[in-house]
Amino acid sequence: MAEAATTVLNSRVPEGPMAEKWDRCKKEMKLVNPANKRKKKIIVVGTGLAGASAAASLAELGYQVQSFCFQDSPRRAHSIAAQGGINAAKNYPNDGDSVWRLFYDTVKGGDFRSREANVHRLAQVSNNIIDQCAAQGVPFARDYGGTLANRSFGGAQVSRTFYARGQTGQQLLLGAYSALMRQVGAGRIQLFPRREMLDLVKIDGVARGIIVRNLITGEFEKYSADCVLLCTGGYGNAFYLSTNAKGSNVTAAWRCHKRGAFFANPCYTQIHPTCIPVSGDYQSKLTLMSESLRNDGRVWVPQSPDDNRRGNEIPDSERDYYLERRYPAFGNLVPRDVASRAAKERCDAGYGVGSSGQAVFLDFRDAIARDGRHAIEAKYGNLFHMYHKITGEDPYQVPMRIYPAVHYTMGGLWVDYHLQSTIPGLFVLGEANFSDHGANRLGASALMQGLADGYFVAPYTTGHYLGSQNLPSVSTDDEAFAEAMANAQDRNAKILGVQGTRSSDSIHRELGHILWDYCGMSRERQGLETAMGKIRDLRDEFWSSIKVIGQGEQLNQNLEHAGRLADFLEFGELMVRDALVREESCGGHFREEHQSPENEAMRDDENFCHVTAWEFTGVGNEPVEHREQLEFVEVPLATRSYK
Amino acid sequence: MVTKSAEKQQPSPSASGKSATKWIMTLLSSSLGQKFVMGITGLLLCGFLVVHLAGNLLVYVGADAYNTYAHDLHSMLLLPVAEVGLFLLLFAHIALAFKLTSDNRKARHISYHEKQSKIEEPPSFFGKTPMGRTSSWMFLSGSIILIFLIVHMIDMKLHLNPAVTYTVETPEGVIEADPYSIIVQVLGSWSAAVYIIGTIILGFHLSHGFWSAFQSLGLNHPKYTPWIRKFAILFAAVIAIGFASLPIWGLFIH
Amino acid sequence: MSETLDLTLRVWRQPGADVAGKYVEYKLTGISTHMSFLEMLDVLNEQLHAQGDEMIAFDHDCREGICGMCSLMINGQAHGPDTGTTTCQLHMRRFKNGDTIVVEPWRAQAFPVIRDLVVDRSAFDRIIEKGGFISVSTGNAPEANAIPVPAPVQETAMDAAACIGCGACVAACKNASAMLFVSAKVSHLSTLPQGKPERSSRVQNMVAQMDLEGFGNCTNTEECSAACPAEISISNIARMNREYMRAKLCSKE
Repeated sequence: MAEAATTVLNSRVPEGPMAEKWDRCKKEMKLVNPANKRKKKIIVVGTGLAGASAAASLAELGYQVQSFCFQDSPRRAHSIAAQGGINAAKNYPNDGDSVWRLFYDTVKGGDFRSREANVHRLAQVSNNIIDQCAAQGVPFARDYGGTLANRSFGGAQVSRTFYARGQTGQQLLLGAYSALMRQVGAGRIQLFPRREMLDLVKIDGVARGIIVRNLITGEFEKYSADCVLLCTGGYGNAFYLSTNAKGSNVTAAWRCHKRGAFFANPCYTQIHPTCIPVSGDYQSKLTLMSESLRNDGRVWVPQSPDDNRRGNEIPDSERDYYLERRYPAFGNLVPRDVASRAAKERCDAGYGVGSSGQAVFLDFRDAIARDGRHAIEAKYGNLFHMYHKITGEDPYQVPMRIYPAVHYTMGGLWVDYHLQSTIPGLFVLGEANFSDHGANRLGASALMQGLADGYFVAPYTTGHYLGSQNLPSVSTDDEAFAEAMANAQDRNAKILGVQGTRSSDSIHRELGHILWDYCGMSRERQGLETAMGKIRDLRDEFWSSIKVIGQGEQLNQNLEHAGRLADFLEFGELMVRDALVREESCGGHFREEHQSPENEAMRDDENFCHVTAWEFTGVGNEPVEHREQLEFVEVPLATRSYK
Repeated sequence: MVTKSAEKQQPSPSASGKSATKWIMTLLSSSLGQKFVMGITGLLLCGFLVVHLAGNLLVYVGADAYNTYAHDLHSMLLLPVAEVGLFLLLFAHIALAFKLTSDNRKARHISYHEKQSKIEEPPSFFGKTPMGRTSSWMFLSGSIILIFLIVHMIDMKLHLNPAVTYTVETPEGVIEADPYSIIVQVLGSWSAAVYIIGTIILGFHLSHGFWSAFQSLGLNHPKYTPWIRKFAILFAAVIAIGFASLPIWGLFIH
Repeated sequence: MSETLDLTLRVWRQPGADVAGKYVEYKLTGISTHMSFLEMLDVLNEQLHAQGDEMIAFDHDCREGICGMCSLMINGQAHGPDTGTTTCQLHMRRFKNGDTIVVEPWRAQAFPVIRDLVVDRSAFDRIIEKGGFISVSTGNAPEANAIPVPAPVQETAMDAAACIGCGACVAACKNASAMLFVSAKVSHLSTLPQGKPERSSRVQNMVAQMDLEGFGNCTNTEECSAACPAEISISNIARMNREYMRAKLCSKE
């Protein structure tokens, strides 16, 4: 592997004490006067928590905003599916929480691979998010006196999670969506649903517009702007089976990468421990069961690998509560990456349950005996109902079967403190960027980050960008637009032109298997090298034998999927490469070569305390590796221990 | 999307608020306003039914009681005003029914190949009919009631039922027959069949309409709505049985 | 445990918005009862792909019952036979071997068909745009606990806010009425203290847009609520009626 390029990635983190950095940054920012704001055009791609909140906030400031999403309505972005909650350092329960503690927990939970200053800012603005959302009418759970309720979540030792039943993501997104729609009504946002971004337009090295395909008519459209905000989510669907929505994809981010935006830490993927196991080859996606279940459920497998009895028929003496056994201090509440790997370890050793052997039990028997069925129903009723509906089994009677599944991706386009990518004028928000969660994301932090970026960070930093640039006006008649449009059109035409035999679904499933087997919960050199070759072969297979039915000039879901798959096939290789060069175990990235004798992950801070940011050099070519050294000043490097 | 929303732009709210009467027009032309009028007229008509039934049941007391009641009623000075009012209520209720039904047909311009209800338990006897739940054939039941009303008007108001002798010859000349004898004749005639069907269908109409009016007027409450719904069934049953008993009595008992 | 089904599907096929459509019959064999309904359609699409036929277009995204993107009238029932369920959560164990399943798009003047089973529901967005929000710009919010919301009020608001905007209410209503959708949003916002300042203009503007879009009227048949995957109650419609009358008769707006 080539040595990392010496380019220093300038993260633009302000000087000064950690707690003052964001204030200092804001103090030094340039402002755009209100009259000029009206003349500035901003494109926001994606309408999830980050995109909707950014579009609304920027429009409220007076900018002309154009908002794009591939769904039929901005309200359907996949942020909607988050169940658990959103963290904030309000310290309402008076249990000792603070901005610093939320910051500390997030840095530690991220296994020391996030950028301290970004995380601190996230913790700082977390309280404003709750204020904003409550004012928008997000129906957060309340105590009887009418004040906001909190719960503890994802192994945090304080109760700082705000929630709206099991639908927190939905309610927060509807809040942001309502703010967005208010601006649509006011004429300050132009909405473009059912549009898929297929290229970024750069003029003089600066992001100035996008090319989209109108998914209904199949027409390609050009839009110019003064800057572009990419809020397009993560790349979990590279694995085919994930808890992401079927439409979630890496295309927009990947096309920006191909235009020069560095991709950081693509190997960091979060495998969520509590999902409903795969039931057959036809499976199209996986369903997450909220992590909050682990507050009351106990995870176990039979002590004997050949035990085929139903879960409720196995006596306690023949059960192995392996999380409680291995991690007595945290028990069933260990972080996601630890819980996921422990489940895989048991299943690989032959103790898995269910017809596939790829599942463990999550048992509520003791909780029901302790608190009564009614109490459990009040807390988890909707989740139990969902489980029953999907599996046909009643979790009040028999233990649930769960297995880890790809859930979230911590990696993403590299951004500096201003959330600007390596392409000036291209800002990346939410899951699509890499900065805040390091190698592992804590529960209830994704919603927090999306909204922090959209409501409270991007409106400032994009303003600063626009205020400090003297951007010439551009029109979509510029030849850069024609070139990008031709590029996007050619790619689609090429896909349509192959006329082979294989369906996009079958190839995508194959890619998913490769990534899951070799670059999933645990990775090792040889496997990763094998995967690299297999992905290249599969990519060749795609371009020689894909068959897309129908035309490009119409609604064609087959073509949409094939286009996204083509990008996943290029991206997958980068993910594997990144996993290969990161020769340590950290967070969601577990290298089998780097584990303790007790099978715990071993980080290598001496050699890998950095962000790996990849520069695209052409499909099939070796990308250039850049590094951003990470410094931990406030939270000294330490080994995570949940024993 | 952009062109679509341009097509469906409403006039700016500030413009609509200016005129003193405009708000009434917007109210009455809105879907909710029209349902509101449906509900109010429906409830007032229910009130009329109660009074009408109470009066008619005097038939069972005897000819004198009924004739006295009819005489006193018809000598009320305000009766024509009340009748005009009643007619206006009916007219508004029926006209709106036609308007709303036509709007509703337009809203579902293409019908389903197959359509099934997802409501599992119909709430009462009235809920189970060959046409589905009562609520889904209100226009049909209303139309049947309208036919019944026309027959009723022919019998009782226009005095055109050929089977009924509306006059009696007395030594003083031909005078109008007493109301009791007219009603007895009507109820013994072929109209009785129409009356039985009409009043039973009226019961169905009321079993949904009575409760539905409260819903349209926004009068709901978790404590009282269940009672209103039960009362609607009871009310419908009382009105239907009360009225239907008359032609049955006329045909078979009297 | 894992049985398989042989099924006949009768699916609405329509190549484009302005083109006539028709029902086309398909045979499927060996469908596992553990499949979701959409996975069954995936299997059918793979089959069509193998034959070189145009695949069936249908909307779907999260496939876990929350995004509201999936639709489908299945044997005359919005989202199929189960209550409180979206099509993506409907499983094939609900059907019997040899069944014929009729699959249609949502039918409403206000939801024109785009292709096959895909309809345009942007009318909902335009209704929200007219008032489905609380006007509080970013940064303008008071401390979250400054406005106490009694738990029962919050519960009522939450019940209404659970709407996923799928349009099943419109599809199931014999009048293609959008009252349940609109009333859920009106209820959610007007029951909360934060939403009170705009309650009069909100309900009037949203209802005006709803009427303009060409949705039908409510005849209180309750089909909407029975078909609603989020089980939104029709008490919200009563509340909207009340709010609307209050706004029209009592407010200055």
